Amino acid sequence: MAAIFKPRANLNAKLTLLAAAALMLGGVGWWWGWPRTNYVRHTNWIVEQVVPFSHQHHVSGLGLDCRFCHTTVETQSNAGLPPTYTCMTCHSQIWTNAKILAPVRESLANDTPLVWHRINDLPDYVYFNHAIHIAKGIGCASCHGDVAHMPLMYKAKSLTMGFCLDCHSNPAPHLRPRDEVFNTGWHRTKDTPSPSALMAQYHLLNRKLTDCSICHR
Amino acid sequence: MPSVTRQWRSLAELARDPAFVARAAREFPTLAGSLNVPHDRRRVLKLMAAGLALAGLGGCDDGAPSGVLIPPVRSSRESVTRGSNLYATASVLCGYAAGVLVRHDAGRPIKVAGNPDHPASLGATDAIAQAEILGFYDPDRAAGLMRDGEPQDWQSLLTALAAQRASWTKTGGAGLRVLTGSVTSPTMARQFVALQQLYPEMRWHQWEPVSRDAVRAGAQLAFGRSLEIVPKLDVADVILALDSDLLDAAPGHVRLAHDFATRRNPTRGPMSRVYAVEPTPTLIGLAADHRFVAGPGDMHRTVVALRDALLHGAAPADGPPWVGEVVADLRAHRGRAFVHAGPQLPAETHALVHALNDVLGGRGTTYSLIDAVEVAPTNQAQSLHDLVADMQAGRVQSLVIIDSNPAFTAPGSLGFADALRRVPFSLALTVESNETSQRTRWSLPQAHPYEAWSDARAFDGTATILQPQAQPLYDGVAPHHLLALLAAPQAAAALDLVRQTWQPTFTGNADRQWHDALAGGIVPNTAAPPTDAKLLPAAGQATPPPPADNPVTLLFRPDPHLWDGRFANNAWLQELPRPLTKLTWDNPLLISPQQAHAMDVRNGDRVELRVGDTTLTVPAWIMPGQASDCAVVSFGFGRTVVGTVGQHTGWNVYPLTGRSEPPALRKGQGREELACAEHHNPIFSHDEDFARHGTLAAFTADPHFLADHKPTPALYRTKPPGPAEWGMSIDQNACIGCNACVVACMSENNIPVVGKQAVIREREMHWLRIDRYYEGDIADPTTLFQPVLCMHCEQAPCEIVCPVGATVHDSEGLNVMVYNRCVGTRFCSNNCPYKVRRFNYYEFAAQEHRPAAARNPDVTVRARGVMEKCTFCLQRIAAARIAADMENRPIGGNEVRTACQNACPTQAFTFGNMAQPDAEVLNRKRSPLTYALLSDQNTQPRVTYEAKITNPNKAIGREGA
Repeated sequence: MAAIFKPRANLNAKLTLLAAAALMLGGVGWWWGWPRTNYVRHTNWIVEQVVPFSHQHHVSGLGLDCRFCHTTVETQSNAGLPPTYTCMTCHSQIWTNAKILAPVRESLANDTPLVWHRINDLPDYVYFNHAIHIAKGIGCASCHGDVAHMPLMYKAKSLTMGFCLDCHSNPAPHLRPRDEVFNTGWHRTKDTPSPSALMAQYHLLNRKLTDCSICHR
Repeated sequence: MPSVTRQWRSLAELARDPAFVARAAREFPTLAGSLNVPHDRRRVLKLMAAGLALAGLGGCDDGAPSGVLIPPVRSSRESVTRGSNLYATASVLCGYAAGVLVRHDAGRPIKVAGNPDHPASLGATDAIAQAEILGFYDPDRAAGLMRDGEPQDWQSLLTALAAQRASWTKTGGAGLRVLTGSVTSPTMARQFVALQQLYPEMRWHQWEPVSRDAVRAGAQLAFGRSLEIVPKLDVADVILALDSDLLDAAPGHVRLAHDFATRRNPTRGPMSRVYAVEPTPTLIGLAADHRFVAGPGDMHRTVVALRDALLHGAAPADGPPWVGEVVADLRAHRGRAFVHAGPQLPAETHALVHALNDVLGGRGTTYSLIDAVEVAPTNQAQSLHDLVADMQAGRVQSLVIIDSNPAFTAPGSLGFADALRRVPFSLALTVESNETSQRTRWSLPQAHPYEAWSDARAFDGTATILQPQAQPLYDGVAPHHLLALLAAPQAAAALDLVRQTWQPTFTGNADRQWHDALAGGIVPNTAAPPTDAKLLPAAGQATPPPPADNPVTLLFRPDPHLWDGRFANNAWLQELPRPLTKLTWDNPLLISPQQAHAMDVRNGDRVELRVGDTTLTVPAWIMPGQASDCAVVSFGFGRTVVGTVGQHTGWNVYPLTGRSEPPALRKGQGREELACAEHHNPIFSHDEDFARHGTLAAFTADPHFLADHKPTPALYRTKPPGPAEWGMSIDQNACIGCNACVVACMSENNIPVVGKQAVIREREMHWLRIDRYYEGDIADPTTLFQPVLCMHCEQAPCEIVCPVGATVHDSEGLNVMVYNRCVGTRFCSNNCPYKVRRFNYYEFAAQEHRPAAARNPDVTVRARGVMEKCTFCLQRIAAARIAADMENRPIGGNEVRTACQNACPTQAFTFGNMAQPDAEVLNRKRSPLTYALLSDQNTQPRVTYEAKITNPNKAIGREGA
């Protein structure tokens, strides 16, 4: 009677086992890794906008303060986008015929708002509030990255719940003195109060910022 | 602890029906019925695998930015892109205004709250005013101008009106009739005066189906002129309420409830004593210290006996046995006593009550009299009767109906709808398409009160200018604009008309004063001064007509929520359990237990109700505490031309009105399934003392007689105190069961309605419910109201059974529900002794009949398969926490007010941060009456109750002897 298994059967069996293991590992790896890619999280993606607005030019080039356009960032939950009128305070004087600014001029002339695509978005069950983060010394750059050097705007941080909780469970390293919040190029120096001093200054000691009810309602 | 009598919610519970007990003991009583499908092991495993595969997917969000951001072209000084703004206006029902503040979020109206500066509100509202915001967003609202059912453009109406005006000018307005409801608006008054000058032959008719004709006629009889009464219940020591609607629906009832409650808790001052005489329970009757059940015959004898005893000093001959003691008590409190009669009693009774009040000397203290707030008060039943007679006789050429629905609400015997066909030009201006607008030649969409300029007066005369909260959603026309169009082609806008009215009032800096009046919600110094009208001697001689000697008297009442039917398309109000019956979506005939026994009728059995030649087959519902010879039906249901929500709900009882024939009751065939919530969410206690109560005498002897035993040691660790400690105290002495809090909670927290069938399956979603307990004799039980919401237990039974940590405690003592973690095991609800958790069996929120923009953007809209419950208005806490943190200070003790607390007319709810010594809630919790619901469970709830104390007259026994 002929052998049931040919000599290659051994190899086939090993290869199959290896392939199965590889597939499983790969599957787990994909399951774990894929959602963490920048591609899925839309981080570092440049989103095309109606006007190719450059934060780099306006912030580090011209030295505009964040609050010049995002006026409600210190008082309300959302930072606010500038009305067309704000753009035209300058652009009625300079670059008045620039082609790329045509949508802005049309917006004012026709009284139709500019429509911008969202860059940073949070799920609807998260109730983020800009004002309190500013008041407690969290710099814009902590969540929005180095906006001053972005010619075109992109999402710089993952903004996942893990990202939020990293800071909420230990805010100390991220705190800045209140007057450095809008400073895009700020770095800790030897004159900066220590993280623990800032924690005390902002009354954050003994606070449990990881309660679900802090962000979810 | 004194012994307590048994408390029961439903008749089946009272009878200890074994089937009911078995059913109530189950967490999901309706589950058995839905598990009829046979399940083998294979199918169960398949379903479980599918469930596992889908679990968590709902919670995934890949963080992909979606949507767009649209900044305005110009920033406006007045608009804020995010955050809340409050704008004052008023909620007007039957002409009378109650001030409200509408909260806008991201530029759209979201939530109604009372206006603290308005005398008819004092910061509170009733259920109807709370629900008005849903009516504003109602997609069923009339969407366009129609003639004979065909869409028309605006110009065609203007052309038609021009032709009409030409003929009116020729005839002096003969044949022109305008029909409205009750009016207090000074602008409308001015417009009618102008119209009358222009067209001297024009006639203005008024009609409100919930009649106050007897009140008007009573004042005429007593004083010879139109007066209105302004009660001051906070100074009245003794109140006698005769079938009174003081707390239900009387003008200013929200304010009256507030004043009433200030005298009902013995820990906060001397208690008043309240006697109520009534055929069917009213809110003040249930709150009264003595409630005497009296059918029409007993009521008549009572009124006559009161007259003889108080006005003529005679010994009451024929009256009930308790009259003597009540009269003695009223006499003993001369100058501090007040008698009130409800609008259902005859005009002579009202005249007598004026005379009684005069003798009791309360004028100026317990009440005051002012000139009528209504414009041109009239006998509305007569007014409508005249109109229909003229229509039938062909004397009416043009009929303009403004915000009234006579084709539905006119008495059946009148035949309004038939008469309407004889009118060549008829026009109805209505907020939503209804029975009348379908029958008139022209139907015109009316601007919702939140879309139009107007003005109105409150029960004490205080005027409010109503400002629009948004541009008209459906091209609505303001009533003032239509009235102006009747006079001239170039009609002014409603805003200009209202401004013209107030031009003489605002002297000096008129713009400034106008803006102040708009912002404040009242026009200063417009409250009517008391009149010096003298009582006519004839008032004391009035004798009410003796009632017909019928075996059954049929009483008509407005539905407490749908009113006369105008709110039938409001799902919040439809599904709001009625204060007493806890019925939703239906209006059965309420009969007394004795009547039910005699007819062998159980709840839901059909009965045939015949009045004259009209027969109505309705289900019956047994109403404990109703006079044995009375049957009660409520208006508002059975609309035929109505939006999708109000269709096929209840029975129209208007055809039975306006008839003199005696009603006859007969048991009918079969049963009707009714959605009653009285037995839903049952709670169990060994002591059966759910709602504790006692008498003032017992309280004086030992103030702590109802308080809790000492706390027992807890099994689980007690959490350390946090930066804030949230707590609530509910005063049962104040709660009148009016349901304002329940609607406020729905509005604030995006709580969906589920529909009649789901209510029958016990799936209603109200986070806050008002449990109603009966105690004692079914013919005249003691009734207790107890609002129940999540207790935020320190030792929460729900938290320890959740397998996924979806319900957890936070550092501020809140029991928080994390929707995204919830996988819907419902273990928490099973383990909750208070039964306050609600489960989304379906995508209830998505099925709701309203646009997404109407929801509160600060509260998550819950998905299917998720448990939810009261959060103590977490969004308000969060807002206060952020505001306090930004100023580096702790949250104040009274800084956060929950939606229920804000809406409550009687301030039954007190909420606050107990970590702050100035918190009012701490004060309330220190009251000797404080107890925890189901304290034997040792859940250590953050919500506590103050037990109800009554102040009965020792001379009168429980039976009224």
